[in-house]
Amino acid sequence: MSYQWVQRFKDELAQAWTVAIKDIRVYYLRPGMIMFGFMMPFFMFFSFSVRRELGAEEGLARLLALTVFFTAGAAGPFIIPTERRIGTYDRLLAAPMSLLTLLLGKTAVGAFFAIGVSTVALLAGLLFFGVNITQPALLIAGILLGSLSFSALGLVFGSMPTTNPGDVQMPSTLLRWGLLFISGVFIPLSEMAPAARFIAYLSPLTYAQDLMNQAVLGRSMFNPWIDMAVLFVSAILLLWPSHRLHKRAKVLGR
Amino acid sequence: MNHAIKVENLTKIYGKPGKGVTAVDHIDFEVHAGEIFGFLGPNGAGKTTTQRMLTSLLEPTEGRILIYNQDLAHDSYPAKRMIGLVPEESNVYTELTGWDNLMFTASLYRVARGERNERARRILEAFGLWEQRDMKAETFSKGMRRRLSIGMAIIHQPSLLFLDEPTPGLDAQSARAILSLVRQLNAEGATVFLTTHLIEEANQLCDRVAIINHGKIAKIDTPENLRRNIQRVQSIEVALEPNGHIHGEALASLPGVTTSVKLGDKWRLYTEDPPTLLPLVMNYTASQGLRILSLNTLLPSLEDVFLEITGGKIGAIQPAQQADKPRRRGKGGGR
Repeated sequence: MSYQWVQRFKDELAQAWTVAIKDIRVYYLRPGMIMFGFMMPFFMFFSFSVRRELGAEEGLARLLALTVFFTAGAAGPFIIPTERRIGTYDRLLAAPMSLLTLLLGKTAVGAFFAIGVSTVALLAGLLFFGVNITQPALLIAGILLGSLSFSALGLVFGSMPTTNPGDVQMPSTLLRWGLLFISGVFIPLSEMAPAARFIAYLSPLTYAQDLMNQAVLGRSMFNPWIDMAVLFVSAILLLWPSHRLHKRAKVLGR
Repeated sequence: MNHAIKVENLTKIYGKPGKGVTAVDHIDFEVHAGEIFGFLGPNGAGKTTTQRMLTSLLEPTEGRILIYNQDLAHDSYPAKRMIGLVPEESNVYTELTGWDNLMFTASLYRVARGERNERARRILEAFGLWEQRDMKAETFSKGMRRRLSIGMAIIHQPSLLFLDEPTPGLDAQSARAILSLVRQLNAEGATVFLTTHLIEEANQLCDRVAIINHGKIAKIDTPENLRRNIQRVQSIEVALEPNGHIHGEALASLPGVTTSVKLGDKWRLYTEDPPTLLPLVMNYTASQGLRILSLNTLLPSLEDVFLEITGGKIGAIQPAQQADKPRRRGKGGGR
């Protein structure tokens, strides 16, 4: 690899980082992010967990999966259409970096938000409920890989050629709610009908929840390596539709 | 000739081929390195679509774009490094300070870390924003945001600067400051591609002007040559008293007058032959016992040329757009 390409690669990584840091600074206090990213997972958790006989460990595993899933997936559908509407997205598209770099930067934003919120949830579990984490390394891997995968999923919706966040937040929320109920978060996979379980196997959330279960409770359905591999591969594969949608937007002029 | 931009057969069709809307229709033009090139046209003529294709924000349906001999379709990366873009809307990050907006753009364009601070300081000082550098851009006026937006577009010292409608909506002072900045950037070596519908702006700034209409380039030339080549919209401008305003109909009916337009306290009489019309106007005023406050023969203004080329109606000009002062010749003022 020539020096020129090494330099280009370093530049692109630095640009992805620049985009991510800028987005964090600009959007972390926006109402759309607070509502859909920061508060929604806690609402969901308390709605479906209060007054059920749920141990602290099981509750934390569920809460971590929820926070990673909702927070990471909220950034893309909110930030990109907002930037398209106010014109700042053109600044990024016109900059000397590849589209993939831009998408990586945007994926990192959702992941950073999710890591931050899930850390708060984790600290609450450790400090106030005395939860004992069985395998901390797996927990870290689960939060990191889950954040990247679900952020990439949110980015698919954010990449749709629209300037109105509402246009994509609705379908994005619908899909995420659907996944929530077929991914073993509220209903264990073992209690599902075979058809529902088949669909559950297609959802990355299933593997994130399974990994959290292994990390916190010490039991899971799949081998943790399978969970990690699925989350990692899904994070990469989900960038492809976003890339295609951006190309489409460039043709349509939106 | 060294070209900053070379466009061949550039076309953009929105929608399906054969059924879509053709926004830009097989255009060819070149922008020389170091010039200020104006891209003029009425709303919907294809100006912004063209500019978006040139800055790789929009995929052309057909055609080729070379930026400093780099084919945009082949690899846009080298071209993007040389381009600075100031879009129509000042797209600054309002949640960030003026300083942070510049730092973000400098980082995005990989300006060396050691140089960022110095360049940002120079830009903020030159643009009169140094005192406000730590204030969030949401507190900035429209003119300040515009200047910051231009600052963000030039912090990486681009060779080619795209400006889309840089001054509409600004007060006269801010607009003048921005035009002065553009001249300065050009004097320092930047090529400027100016998209505008303000004819006076193009007239004041541009070395050459392209007029685009219905997606096609209608004319490309210097503003001066464009005016000289359209002789049939020459005119005589006359101010009379007393009650000069009531003589429009009579003046319009003089032989050789093609159109008459009331401009404040004056009448502008368009004609192909001012020397023949001039004595007729003098005779009319004498017969009516009127005093001539001023009388000028005018070459076509760039606005006249624009309207002639784009099929607009001469005289249907909004007062705000009438700042384009035509070249005067012959006698003026006095009685």
